[in-house]
Amino acid sequence: MSGGRAAAPGRTRSRRVTRLIDTVSRWGFMLPAFVILLAVLAYPILYTIEISFAELDLGTFLPSEWVGWDNYETVLSDERFWHSLKVTGIYLAFAMPLQMALGFGIAFLVNADWRGRGAVRALFLIPMVIAPVVAGGLWRMLLDPLWGLSNYLLGLVGIGPLDWFGDATLGMATVIIIDTWRWTPFVTLIATAGLMSLPRDVFEAAEIDGANWWVMLRHVTMPLLVPIIAAAFVVRWLGAVKMFDIVLASTLGGPGRATNVINLFIYQEAFRGLKFAESAAMSIVILVLTMILTGIFLRGTRHLEQRY
Amino acid sequence: MSAGNPRRRRAIGRQVRIWSGVVVCALFLFPVFWMVLTSFKLQRDIFTSPPTLFFTPTIQTYTTYLKFADVPGRILNTVIVSVGAGLVSIVAGAMAGYALARVKLRGATTIGVLILLSRGVPPIALAVPLFLVARNLELTDKHITLILAYCTFLIPYVMWLMRGFFLSLPRELEESATIDGCSRFGAFFRIIVPISLPGLISTFIFSVILAWEELLFALVLTSRNAVTVPVAVAGIAADMITGVNWGALCAVGTITVLPVVVFALAVQKWLIKGLADGATKG
Amino acid sequence: MSQDRKTTTAISRRGAIAAGVSAMTVSAMPVRAAPADGGGLGTAEAPISIRMAANDAFAKLWQTVLVPEFNKKYPHIKVTIDGLTYSEHLTKTLLDLTSATPAYDVICNDDPWTPQIAQTGALLDLKKDVAAWTDPDFDWNDFYAAPLAASEWKGVQYGVPLRSNMLLMFYNRTHYKKAGLPEPTPKLTWAEYMAQAPKLVQDVKGEGKVNAWAVSTYFARDQLTPTIWQAILNANGGKLLDADGKAAFNTPVGVATLQTFVDLLKYAPPGAKSHVFTEELTAFRQGQLATMFMWGSVFRGTAVDTASTTLKTEEVGIQVMPVGSAGPGTHRGIWSGEISKKTQFPRAAWALLQWMSSKDGERFASANVGSFPARKSTLAGKPEFPWLAPVFATLAQSYEVAQAGQMWRPRLAKSDAVQQVLADEVARATAGELSPAEALKNAAGRIDKLRL
Repeated sequence: MSGGRAAAPGRTRSRRVTRLIDTVSRWGFMLPAFVILLAVLAYPILYTIEISFAELDLGTFLPSEWVGWDNYETVLSDERFWHSLKVTGIYLAFAMPLQMALGFGIAFLVNADWRGRGAVRALFLIPMVIAPVVAGGLWRMLLDPLWGLSNYLLGLVGIGPLDWFGDATLGMATVIIIDTWRWTPFVTLIATAGLMSLPRDVFEAAEIDGANWWVMLRHVTMPLLVPIIAAAFVVRWLGAVKMFDIVLASTLGGPGRATNVINLFIYQEAFRGLKFAESAAMSIVILVLTMILTGIFLRGTRHLEQRY
Repeated sequence: MSAGNPRRRRAIGRQVRIWSGVVVCALFLFPVFWMVLTSFKLQRDIFTSPPTLFFTPTIQTYTTYLKFADVPGRILNTVIVSVGAGLVSIVAGAMAGYALARVKLRGATTIGVLILLSRGVPPIALAVPLFLVARNLELTDKHITLILAYCTFLIPYVMWLMRGFFLSLPRELEESATIDGCSRFGAFFRIIVPISLPGLISTFIFSVILAWEELLFALVLTSRNAVTVPVAVAGIAADMITGVNWGALCAVGTITVLPVVVFALAVQKWLIKGLADGATKG
Repeated sequence: MSQDRKTTTAISRRGAIAAGVSAMTVSAMPVRAAPADGGGLGTAEAPISIRMAANDAFAKLWQTVLVPEFNKKYPHIKVTIDGLTYSEHLTKTLLDLTSATPAYDVICNDDPWTPQIAQTGALLDLKKDVAAWTDPDFDWNDFYAAPLAASEWKGVQYGVPLRSNMLLMFYNRTHYKKAGLPEPTPKLTWAEYMAQAPKLVQDVKGEGKVNAWAVSTYFARDQLTPTIWQAILNANGGKLLDADGKAAFNTPVGVATLQTFVDLLKYAPPGAKSHVFTEELTAFRQGQLATMFMWGSVFRGTAVDTASTTLKTEEVGIQVMPVGSAGPGTHRGIWSGEISKKTQFPRAAWALLQWMSSKDGERFASANVGSFPARKSTLAGKPEFPWLAPVFATLAQSYEVAQAGQMWRPRLAKSDAVQQVLADEVARATAGELSPAEALKNAAGRIDKLRL
C-alpha cells in the first residue's frame, strides 16, 4: 500500500515525508498520461509552430527561412480560408445538436428492460465501426442521383430525382446525414453507459413519491447525467471539428466548394499544394479558435455541473 | 379508476418504447444491410437502374480479392494496434480523468485542459513531424509507433469522458474507503474502478473503435508491415485504374464490422453481469 | 536549396534544439555513396534486395506477375513493391527520398510529379549516371516522344515510361445507330460533336423515358477534372501557362472552351455534376452513355470483362478526343519509373526499370498486367489480344497529338499547386457557382500569386 502512515522517528520529518508521498501519489494519477503525451506530441507541436513562421524546404522538410507573420497574413487574408470556416460552422451548427438529441433519445428508448436490449445495443454500434471511407462510399451508392436506392424510393412516391451531390444545400445535408449516421451510436453508447451507472435508489425514491416519467426525466435523470452529457458533447465537438474523411469519400468538398470543411482544406493545401508552412499556420489558427470555443463550452458545463 | 389502467398504460408505453427503439435501430442498420448485400454482387450488378435485390450472387470478391490484397494480415495489424492503443489510453486516461474529477491538485485542471485542447490541432499538421521523428528513430512502419501516435488523441478523450463518469459518482465512496485506511490508489482500484465499469468499458470500446478506423497517421507512418485496414480501404476506394471496386469495398467493410460486433456483444453480457453484481452490493 | 543552419537556430531556442537535433541526426548519418560497381546484380550466395514504391492500384499486380518474370532474367535480385494511395503518393515519396537513408530505391511517379521530386535533387540521371549498365539494344529512340517526356525535366531524363495512359473518347456504337448518327471518327470536330449531343439523349431500351445520355466525364471537384477542359483548350490551340510561368488561359479561347466543357452537362445524366472517374465509367458500362472522356486503361474492363460491364466488345469504340481549331485533343497521364540517388544498388534498380520498359518487357506487361506500351515497335507490332488492336492504334495517334500540342500538365516544381487551383475554380464553374470567365479570372490571379 502506497502512501499512508509512516512510523518514522521525529514527528516533523514524518509529516514532511507523508506530505511528499501524498503529493507523489496525487500526481501519480496524472503522470502516465502527461508523460506519454509530452513525449509524443511535444516535437510535432513545436515543429508546427516553427514552420508556420518560416518557409519549408522540401529537400529536408525542415524550416529554411524565417518569414515572421507572412504565412499568417496570407492565410487570414485568404477568402477561401474564411469560406471554409463558414462551411464548417454550418455543418457543426446542424450536426452537433442533432447527434446529441438523437443519441440520448435513442439511449432512453432502448433502455427499457427487455430481452433483446443487449443485442440491439451491440448492433447499434455498427455504423460507428464502419470506416469513414466505406461509409462515404456506401452513402454515395445509396444517394446517387442515377442509381441510388434513395432516389428510386423517392421516385415511387413521386418526388423527382434529387441531386444529392450536385446541389449545394443537399450536398451539405448529405454530409450531415452521413456524419449523424456514424456518430449517433457513439452518443448513444456514452448515454447508455451513463444511464446504466445511475444509482437505482434515487429512481425508486422518486417513483414512491409518485413522479411520472416526464418529471423523473427532467428533475432526476437529466441533472445526474449532466457531467456525462457535457463530456460527450465536448468529445463529439472536438471530433466533429476534425472531420474530413467523410467529405473526402462522398462530396469531395463539392459541389464547387459547398462542403469544403476546414480540415479538408488544410489537408489539400498541404498534401496537394505542398504548402506545408501555410497549412501549419492555418492549423495554429484553428487550434487557437478551437481553444477559445472549447474554453467557452467548458466554462458553460462547469456552470451546469455546479448547479446540479 | 380501476387499478389496471395505469399499469396497462405503462405496459403499452413500454411496448411502444421498445418497438420504436427497434425501428430506429433497423433504419440505422439498413445501409449496413445494403453493404453486405453489395459485397455479394458482381461489379456490373451494383449500379443497375433501378437497384436490384435479385442478382446472381458471387463470393469471388471474398475469396480472390481479399486474399490478393492481404486483408487478413491487415485486419491483424489493425487489431493489434487498436487494442494496444485502447489499453494504454484507458489506463492512462482513466487515471488522469480521476485526478481531474476527485483529486485536489494545483495545476491539474490546467494540465487537463491543455491536454484536451491539444485535440484542437488538426491531425494533418501532426502527421508530417510525427513521421520525421519516427524516421529518425527508425520506428516507421512499426506497430508501437502507431499505438503511441493513436494515444495522442485517445488519451485526451478517455480522460475527459472518464472525468464525466467519475464526477457523477457519489463522493461518499472514496471517503468511506479512506476512513478505512485505504490509500488513494487502493481506493481507486478497489472501489471506484469496479463501480464505474460501465463507463470504463464503454470508453474502452469507443477508443478501440476510434483507433480502428484512423486513417491519416496510418497512411503516413506505415508502408508495408504495419498497414492497417483503413489504408487498404482507402486504396480500394481510390482505384483509378479499374474503377472503384465497390464489391471489394463492401466486402472489406463487412469483414471489419464482424469482429467488433462480436466483441461488443460479448462485452455487453459481461457488463450486465457485472452491473447486477454491483447492484446487489449496493 | 542549401540549408542555412544559422538561420534555423535563429528561429527560437526551443525550436532550434528540436530542429537541430533532427538536422544533426540527419546529417550525422553520412549520405552513402553507391559502390563503384553499382551494387552489382547479386549472386546466389548474396542476393540483393531492392524496394519500389508504386500506386496501390497496380503494386500488387506487378509484384505477383511482373516480378517473377523479371526474376527469370535476374534471379538474384529480390524486388518488393509497396503500394501507395494516390493522394498521399507525392508526399510520401518526398518524405522518403529526402531522408538520409531512403527506404525506396525505385519509385513510380505520375505525370506531373517528376519536376517536383527532381527539384530536390533526389533522382538519378538515367542517360548519364547509369549509362554504363544500359543494354546496347535498349534503344531510347524507340520510345514515342510524349511518354518519354513525362519523366524528363530541364533536359535531364530521370525516368522511363512504365504504364502509359492517355485521355481518350470512348463511344457506344449502339447509341449512335439508334440515334441515326454516323459513328465518330478521329476527324470529328467539337462543333459536330455538340450538334450531335442533343440527339444522343434518348430512350435506348424502349421504356418510354430517357435512359441514355450523350456524355459524362469528370465534372466534380477532383484533381483530374481540369485535364478534360485542358484537352479541349489544347485542341483549340490554347495553353495553360506561358514561357514565364504566368497564366495564359484567361483568354477568349480559354473562356470559350471552359464554356464548352460546362455545356456538356446539358447532355449528361442527372447527378453528373458530381461525377468523377467511377461514376462516368459505371454509367458507360451500364449502357447509359453514348460517349465518355476517360483514361484508356479502362478499356478492358469496359469492353471485354463481362463481370464488370454490360457492353459487348464490338459495341465499344475508342479514339482521340474531338478536333478543335488546332487538331484533336488528348491528355497525357504516364507513370514513369525513376531511381533514387541515394540507393545502394543503382545497377540492380536500373536492371529492373530497363527490363520493364524494354521491348520484351513491354510486350509481356501489356499482355499480362494491362499496361499500355510507349514504344513504337510494340505499338506497331501485333498485340496479344485482338481487342487491343484499336487501342494500340489510338494510343499511337494520341502520343503524336500530345507531343504536337504539348498536352500535359505544367512541368514545374509547383505543378500540383497549379492543378489544385484549377481544380477548385473549374469545379466552381461546373457547379454553376461562377461563370467560366470569372472562374478563369480567379484561377489566373491565384496562379500568378504562386510565383512559379
